[in-house]
Amino acid sequence: MDDFTKFIHSGKLAPLKKWGTKWSLWPVHLVTACCGAELAHAFASGYDGERIGALNYGIARQTNFIIVEGAITRKMARVLRITWEQMPDPKFVIVMGACGLNGGIFWNGYNLVKPSEVVPVEFFIPGCPPTPEALLRGIRQLQKKLETGEAESSVDFYDLRLQKGKIPKMLPKSPKRISENPLIIVNRAKEVDWAFGKELCEKLKALKLESVVITAKNRIAVKVSESNLKETAIELKKLGFDHVKSVNVIDVPAENKFIVEYHISSYSNKDLMPVIVNLFTEIPRKEAKVSSLADIFPSADYMEREMHDFFGVEFKGNPWKGKFLLAPDTPEFPLRKDFKLQEEIYVGD
Amino acid sequence: MIAMFDLVMQILKSNQIEIPLIQPVVDSLIEIPVLNALVALILWRPFFAVVVMPGLLVLMIYLLYIIWFERKLTARIQWRVGPLEIARPLRGAIQALADGLRYFFQEAIVHKEAHRPYFIQLPILAFIPVLLPIAFIPAGNVVGIKTPYAIQLIVAFISLIPITIVAIGWASNSRFAFVGSVREALMYVAYEIPFIIAVISMIFLYGSGDPYVVIEKQWIPGAFLNPLAFLVFLIAMLMATSRLPFEIPEADQEIAFGPFVEYSGILFGLVMVLAYEKLYVMALLFTILFLGGWSGPQIALLGDLNAPIWLVIKTLVAISIIAIVRSMYARYRIDQALRMGFSWFLALSVLALVIGAFIGMVI
Ligand code: SF4
Repeated sequence: MDDFTKFIHSGKLAPLKKWGTKWSLWPVHLVTACCGAELAHAFASGYDGERIGALNYGIARQTNFIIVEGAITRKMARVLRITWEQMPDPKFVIVMGACGLNGGIFWNGYNLVKPSEVVPVEFFIPGCPPTPEALLRGIRQLQKKLETGEAESSVDFYDLRLQKGKIPKMLPKSPKRISENPLIIVNRAKEVDWAFGKELCEKLKALKLESVVITAKNRIAVKVSESNLKETAIELKKLGFDHVKSVNVIDVPAENKFIVEYHISSYSNKDLMPVIVNLFTEIPRKEAKVSSLADIFPSADYMEREMHDFFGVEFKGNPWKGKFLLAPDTPEFPLRKDFKLQEEIYVGD
Repeated sequence: MIAMFDLVMQILKSNQIEIPLIQPVVDSLIEIPVLNALVALILWRPFFAVVVMPGLLVLMIYLLYIIWFERKLTARIQWRVGPLEIARPLRGAIQALADGLRYFFQEAIVHKEAHRPYFIQLPILAFIPVLLPIAFIPAGNVVGIKTPYAIQLIVAFISLIPITIVAIGWASNSRFAFVGSVREALMYVAYEIPFIIAVISMIFLYGSGDPYVVIEKQWIPGAFLNPLAFLVFLIAMLMATSRLPFEIPEADQEIAFGPFVEYSGILFGLVMVLAYEKLYVMALLFTILFLGGWSGPQIALLGDLNAPIWLVIKTLVAISIIAIVRSMYARYRIDQALRMGFSWFLALSVLALVIGAFIGMVI
């Protein structure tokens, strides 16, 4: 059997195999990021990748070619690997886009994976996004490589024993877990060369604050007590900050507190435009109440409502009560860490 | 031994197909010792009908042609070029060959959950009901097995095909395959009854299930004798071969080729052509029933070959027209197709039956 397999894969018939594979590189539908738009362009009228025998087709089992379209996140990396593994033997991967090459615009993203670490890659096509010509050139390069290269398998085959008998039926296990005690520090200091920021910090220190820390260039974290939150916000407004970019709640059950963050910045003051001040306060979980900044910065209103939905933090002064974004029948406060997901019940025999 | 050989040669020679055009070549070849057996076999009428024309050889060429034609046509309708670079002078006509070769050399994965023996057997078993009808389809006096019940037999075999497809889906043991087989089974019920009724109406009309009688009675093509049955048969053909308005069991965008989802390599190559082969067989039947079969202007030089050539040409034209339908229409939902199949489609077929019986009495 082994000899036969070898013969089929690289024996006398190899030229036929090479020719067939060369003209029939069918990419599987695996769109992962915005480069997919350019892939669609390459196969639509105008460029028409089908000219060179590449036909976008069905699923992994019936194709032999993956075009990784741009960024691969951790989650999609798993999908990519599965797709690649499910593909029958002579199989090839092309990566398009700066993201797949080296991260592109997400180059330091915590969640980004390089496709070359997940699957063996034949060619990279740089660009953000690459033009359709570039993609088609990549496919042509692969064809050239197939034509001139050796005919061989693209994976190693291991001998697996055939399983006999009935396979026990296993219900899928729930993969949902609650992480224990994460250590969360919102204001970790960092040395940066930022004179304007230091000046700004001096100004802020005149107010009644618990701490003022520069966390990165253009980022300042300001910690206040809950009772001082509103006053500080008013003071910030006087300094030229005029809107809230986001409202954020972090649940820290181990320390029995919520951290409520307001990211405040400015549209009207040119110097302050790049600066984001993270105004945050800590409140006990039991009595999750914090004064609303919606009357000072109207843009905070909707985000406060949302946080109320998710965490059950009450924003004193925000008139909204009840569910805002979630469906009426969602269980209470789904983003709290101690929220227990309802076990799904699988009906099986 | 030699006596046996002579006997076989005699049987073969007694039923040779006659083509005046190549008669001198045949005469010279028949003198050569070993080659003569081969030539005699190929020109033996039943063998020629089943293996060469309109049988397997033409079927292979047809497969190459129809896959290329469909892709090319779809491409033209979408304002693209379609397969081209593989063979520029031929406008990419051998694209299907490359795809077939690629499938042939690819690994064939049999996944763990599959019912192993059936999973591997069924794609091959499925060829029995698909290819057997070819033995009964006559083309003039070139015929595999001559029987007065040919049309009934062909219909019976065609009706067996979906069972293998449902079995394929079952053996795959995957959720998409399951959904696909259920859809196939539902569609089967929806089109099979009108289809059979349409054929019966034509048998009423001609008064016989014998293709020779059928062709004889068609002084004008059967499509004009019973247009309703023609329409019903056409739509049933689209439904039965999962062509696009009714590509419901395979629906690659939603259930990823349904029953065939787990197949790879040569096994997928085999199951993929099933629908095309079914289309070929049904189109042959269609040609015989509605388009006058093998009747057409005779060229004396071709002799017996006239009939098969006319039959194949008419069939291919019919199939090409069906391919146009495929590349233009969007897909129906399963409930729409079923509602249609059980309401006006069925009613239409019953009406066709009445017309068939009536005209059958008149002529
Ligand atoms: S390379 Fe550019 S276009 Fe492609 S996925 Fe990354 S960001 Fe999007």
